[in-house]
Amino acid sequence: MTSQTFSTWGRWVVGHEQVPQDKLPSEFAKNQPLKAFMGWDGLFVHDTTVNLVDMARAYMKLAREESCGQCFPCRLGTEDMSAILDGICAGKGTAAELDRLESLARLVSQTARCDIGQTAPRPLLDLLQYRREDFLKIIKNKAPIPTGHYIAKVTAPCTNACPSHVNIPDYVEKIRIGRWDQALSSIRNDCPLPGVIGRVCVRPCEFNCRRQHVDSGIAIRALKRFAADTELASGDEPCLHSGPTKDKKVAIIGAGPAGLACAYYLGLRGYASTIFEVMNEPGGMTAVGIPDYRLPRDILRHEANQVKKLGCEIRYGVNVGVDITLKDLKLQGYGAIFVGVGAPEASKMRCEGEDAGYKGFMTGVEFLRRIADGEQSVEGKKFLAIGGGNVAMDCVRSALRLGYTDVNLIYRRTRAEMPADPVEITEAEEEGVKFHFLVAPLKIIAEEGKVTGLECHRMELGEPDASGRRRPVVVEGSNFIIECDFIVPAIGQVCVVDCVLPPGEVEISKWKTLPTDEITRRTNQPSIFGGGDCVTGPATLIAALAAGKNAARFIDQFLSSGTSTPEDCDYMERLISKLGVFNSKEKMPYKDSKTKLHPPMMEPEIRIKSFDEAEGKINAASATKEASRCLRCYRIAMAAV
Amino acid sequence: MNTMTLNGKNISFNPGDTILDVAQENGVEIPTLCYLQAADHKGVCRVCVVEVDGADRLLPACATPAADGMVVETHSELVVQTRKMMLELLLADGDHNCLFCESNGDCKLQELVYEYGIKDAPRTATYEPRPIDDATPMIFRDFNKCVLCGRCVAACNDVQCNDAIPFPYGRREEKPLPTGWLPLADYDHCVHCGECIQACPVGAIIEKKAIGQARSWEMEKVRSTCPYCGVGCQLWLHVKDDRIIKVTGVEDGSPNKGRLCVKGRFGYDFIYSEERLKTPLIRENGGFREASWDEALDLVANKFKEIIATHGPDAIGGVSCSRSINEDSYNMQKFFREVLGTNNIDNCART
Repeated sequence: MTSQTFSTWGRWVVGHEQVPQDKLPSEFAKNQPLKAFMGWDGLFVHDTTVNLVDMARAYMKLAREESCGQCFPCRLGTEDMSAILDGICAGKGTAAELDRLESLARLVSQTARCDIGQTAPRPLLDLLQYRREDFLKIIKNKAPIPTGHYIAKVTAPCTNACPSHVNIPDYVEKIRIGRWDQALSSIRNDCPLPGVIGRVCVRPCEFNCRRQHVDSGIAIRALKRFAADTELASGDEPCLHSGPTKDKKVAIIGAGPAGLACAYYLGLRGYASTIFEVMNEPGGMTAVGIPDYRLPRDILRHEANQVKKLGCEIRYGVNVGVDITLKDLKLQGYGAIFVGVGAPEASKMRCEGEDAGYKGFMTGVEFLRRIADGEQSVEGKKFLAIGGGNVAMDCVRSALRLGYTDVNLIYRRTRAEMPADPVEITEAEEEGVKFHFLVAPLKIIAEEGKVTGLECHRMELGEPDASGRRRPVVVEGSNFIIECDFIVPAIGQVCVVDCVLPPGEVEISKWKTLPTDEITRRTNQPSIFGGGDCVTGPATLIAALAAGKNAARFIDQFLSSGTSTPEDCDYMERLISKLGVFNSKEKMPYKDSKTKLHPPMMEPEIRIKSFDEAEGKINAASATKEASRCLRCYRIAMAAV
Repeated sequence: MNTMTLNGKNISFNPGDTILDVAQENGVEIPTLCYLQAADHKGVCRVCVVEVDGADRLLPACATPAADGMVVETHSELVVQTRKMMLELLLADGDHNCLFCESNGDCKLQELVYEYGIKDAPRTATYEPRPIDDATPMIFRDFNKCVLCGRCVAACNDVQCNDAIPFPYGRREEKPLPTGWLPLADYDHCVHCGECIQACPVGAIIEKKAIGQARSWEMEKVRSTCPYCGVGCQLWLHVKDDRIIKVTGVEDGSPNKGRLCVKGRFGYDFIYSEERLKTPLIRENGGFREASWDEALDLVANKFKEIIATHGPDAIGGVSCSRSINEDSYNMQKFFREVLGTNNIDNCART
């Protein structure tokens, strides 16, 4: 048996190395073995009962359907290959057709414009090379072979890297051909807040863009913002259609990105939902944690309003756990509950004086929230933030805008280890923030209850820790004091799910996060789901949106069938991610010298004078030009289970 | 240093040039079918693929930038075989019968099929007949001849900016042939400029008035200037037996670079009108009589002189016709100001 199983996986993409068969995934889902897999980099077979010729037929049929038809070889070649394979599987094939099949497969993979055509013939070419006898046997028998069922998924490196799997090549192409409204509806299939995400996404897609192997990656975020801004400027309302109205309703705790996304996709599925929000504003940390110069509040409000139009009510100022309990919600007839309460509390620094209540000391989260609420007061001149993440960047850059003239940031590692977005770091630097690396806080110095400085020590980098980053180690005797008027630590946030959910009812982790199934987002209670930072700890906005979107699908499943179980497409996505769609070592056959589109930015000296949005709009011509650089790296994956 | 090897020859190139640009500059012919320079439309037909050393696939010459040290073969055995197969596929997809085709003798596909010695067009997939669009008086579209190169789409949207041929984009499953996926015209936006006809490399979009009038080799091409507005677009008159069969724009001629409007391309019938004036007419006794140019001009000159002598030059005014070229209008105003002595001179500034 095993002698006939085989793998060619990894032999195609230049820079790749062929993966031994035992290193390839053999499980599709729990207790469901993966029998065979065909994809952009070849195929592998774990179980000889799979009829590979039939699978190749199904694979080519899908390639033919996915082919966009713009380039000749893919349009015509996939059509012909599909027809030949249909004939062979129907018992009407001839041996001569195999040669033509091979020539066609080679032609298409050699000349097609995008990855659909370039990669789709690869498994077929492998089969014709290593398993030609399988084809010949069927041709000789002259009898139709049974048609199998396969699980398929179309992906792309950018799409796979996006937590919400937005169909990026699709909307980029629609921008290229001027169908901006269609581009936006394509985005909305997987991301309900395009204007928000188009401004502040950490864009894993761009780091997985294959165009960077040619010259520079596509400005995917800026294109998304362009699509959203165009609709906003036109005054057109998005064309959103909710499904047939369902009689069950859902309670959502928290109007942050996870909660809004969940409500949005529940609305599209016909469910009414009620969001209970402790603040008086939609957006959660997106509203009070991201300053206006990066994300103007009216954009967020506008997109939250669209969620409301889909049949969602937001009740502000309701503190679930205090004003209303889970039990009350169930009694009020909510069939399911989604918990998306985020990670709103600041982590402790374990630094002397942080709990003393000194004037001039405030956590980053609190500092940003006060600015969001309109508080503009300034304590002295010298501002000091602690931390290396995006919240720390938001704090220092906001401090400059408030009027602090000497803004500093200390971080215990070096610039290379900073988790903040490199663009944010550069922009903070341009604005005049002073960075002090390899410095960690020790003690807050205060006089008469008011901060006057921070005692720090110097650090050096030691061995790598669990995160792979080199662990900072204290340099003994290096203590020194930085004089300052205001200290803001922004070293992380923690979850407080226990404040919302009473202990005992739903399982809560020792970190006060809410454990859920990684796919269905269900907690240990069948009717309670959760997603976003309260599940994962502080993470990204797009990950929270993805969690809300996925939870909506499984809440629908639960309310209509009583259970929530992952679907084939979920397992397929997991399998594809395991195999890896983007290959950082890939070598492209040509180079170009086009530069990535950079949206216009206000000059640093002007932008620090106010909280006005710093990044400007891009025009249609530059959006089209940028979109035309997309390589359209669609890949087709197919599994036999 | 920007040098590369093209078919074994070492040559230098300008940064930013594509392989196709470099080949054209060096007299190496690479066939293209979809490339429409004016709209930067390229990369569709893949007929221009070339072999580049070190590349794991063939690269389209029209869309691949030349790079220092690149080694390119434009007619290697692999390249020629690939182009042949692509042309076979194209030929099999559609109804490409040259006997019945208006573009016989003036067709990119026909040229390439002959050049590459195609003898057969095998095809396994079935061909479903596609629609014919005979809805308007000027343009005839037969999508059975269409190769889906996208040139008409680019010409309409990016050259003329009329957006009358929506980009036929979408997954095949959602837009199946024969109607989906075709460059169908949206006549709500179409201004009948005929740019799509000019862009079509085959016989899928043609001038309706020319149907059955002449074979391409029977027509003589006469260069002329459009008689309508003062822009002075350059035309090719396709003439058979002293009659204009059709009009196309001169691709490399300024100011229009091949573009024409509906009047320039289709509005030539008036020259055959029986009611056209062929000589000057002088009104006499309540009717007109034919006169010679000398007689007519003498009459006008004498009348002008009389009027000026009696009422002064400002009693005369002139309107120059916008169909005249700029130079003629200039001369007319000079004549009025300098010779007749009046500033009463205007231009209708419209056709």
